[in-house]
Amino acid sequence: MAGASTFSIPSRRSSARPAASDPWFVKWVLIGVTVSFFSLFLFLPLFVVFQEAFSKGAVAYMKAFQDSATRHAIGLTLLVAAIAVPLNTVFGIVAAWSVTRYRFRGRSFLITLIDLPLWVSPVIGGLIYVLVFGAQGWLGPWLQAHDIRIIFAVPGIVLATVFVTFPFVARGLIPLMQAQGIKEEEAALTLGANGWQIFFRITLPKIKWGLLYGIILCNARAMGEFGAVSVVSGHIRGMTNTMPLHIEILYNEYQFAAAFAVASVLALLALVTLFLKTYSEWRAEQQLSEGSGDQNL
Amino acid sequence: MSIRVEKITKRFARFAALSSVDLEIAPGELVALLGPSGSGKTTLLRVIAGLEFPEASGRVLFGERDVTDLNAYKRKAGFVFQHYALFAHMSVFENIAFSMRVLPRRQRPTDQEIRERVLRLLEAVQLTGFEKRLPTQLSGGQRQRVAFARALAIEPEVLLLDEPFGALDAKVRKSLRRWLREFHDRIGLTTIFVTHDQEEAFEVADRVVLIDKGVIQQIGTPSELRAAPANPFVADFLDIGH
Repeated sequence: MAGASTFSIPSRRSSARPAASDPWFVKWVLIGVTVSFFSLFLFLPLFVVFQEAFSKGAVAYMKAFQDSATRHAIGLTLLVAAIAVPLNTVFGIVAAWSVTRYRFRGRSFLITLIDLPLWVSPVIGGLIYVLVFGAQGWLGPWLQAHDIRIIFAVPGIVLATVFVTFPFVARGLIPLMQAQGIKEEEAALTLGANGWQIFFRITLPKIKWGLLYGIILCNARAMGEFGAVSVVSGHIRGMTNTMPLHIEILYNEYQFAAAFAVASVLALLALVTLFLKTYSEWRAEQQLSEGSGDQNL
Repeated sequence: MSIRVEKITKRFARFAALSSVDLEIAPGELVALLGPSGSGKTTLLRVIAGLEFPEASGRVLFGERDVTDLNAYKRKAGFVFQHYALFAHMSVFENIAFSMRVLPRRQRPTDQEIRERVLRLLEAVQLTGFEKRLPTQLSGGQRQRVAFARALAIEPEVLLLDEPFGALDAKVRKSLRRWLREFHDRIGLTTIFVTHDQEEAFEVADRVVLIDKGVIQQIGTPSELRAAPANPFVADFLDIGH
């Protein structure tokens, strides 16, 4: 008994200061493992991308972007993102609003459903559109009769991208809106504001950083998506190739410098995304603590 | 303006928060809804404000005006929330000006008029000079008074207060209680406030409405309640007769 009680006292103390209780070498070994893992799997590839891109000099690097197929791929990626991101921003706000403001049957199922694209393989995401809109699909004959092309054309790429990127905005907003509650909106209601006024003057300013965070992630995924787009695209050079698909083609054709040059643009996008994401995350947390500080005092 | 509620029943899922509640409040009266937590007092206040809607049988009237089917934003009931619910991203000035800024263009006062009204309201709640502050830069008692000024800015016909002092410390509570009573006597607005604090209800209110389990147990002046509790619950809650 005495042994047990003397044993339990330091363990209780250690739970109050967990970091101090581990021997110093455990701390440094764990940090070392994490840092080497990141170096090996994240920083090294990033470095290699830029090194390969410039392996034949800056002139060759710039020349890669004069190729018409490359330019088209960049244009198509921007177009797809320009459609998918606003669409999913609106959808994300509507979804987050409905699952946080209303209580209804099937609500938790809907929250799970919003996450679906995150746990389904993107290839499946592309394949379902082939099954629905493809030549052998449900709507295939009807679409062909009306001369509408969806699969192996831009609409299919947009659809697949929308599917893969739809969780991000909603995911970013739901926890934020849940934590903030609806008291300010109710106050605005008693002060005579209608639904639109409440949304634009109260809710939007409250969620703007969380929303930006979601939009940035959504955009990064929309521009970088490979799997789902690959299934529906058909890889027609200069027509249905997005940047990630174009990189693969260049690489398979042994145009390494060109492939890595295009890849470096995506990598830069990732770095910008990382920066903006960290910043907006920080601002969202700040905004949340300001709001809850108001509740507590 | 008098307030009348008739046969108000409100259910959440299977749980009946209010069962056929009738209540009449005279113009200019200051009434406390008193009861333990979960008694339905806040739900009744929210039904009167139009933030909750009762079952079909119930009616809510402000004077002769039937407001049962009106949404909160058309009722002209000033509402003060327990945790103030000030707009954290707006200055004190903009918080109070909000209700004027959201008016349709034709009814909206000019910027000059808005400014004058906001400053007058700030003076009424003794916060002159605070218009540029953000809510986070105010103490609890100051926030509560901004919330009052904001609710009064709609020129309400009735004033509804949900645990107005619930989030404040004991000392501030006492002084704000006295302030509320004086304030009410000065402007004479029909006022209902919710509280779980018996002392607060008895000190401030003209009449006290004691609620438990969604049913009104007794209505009366503080002295009436003390002298003749209607049933064992009232006696027990007011801690008399032991």
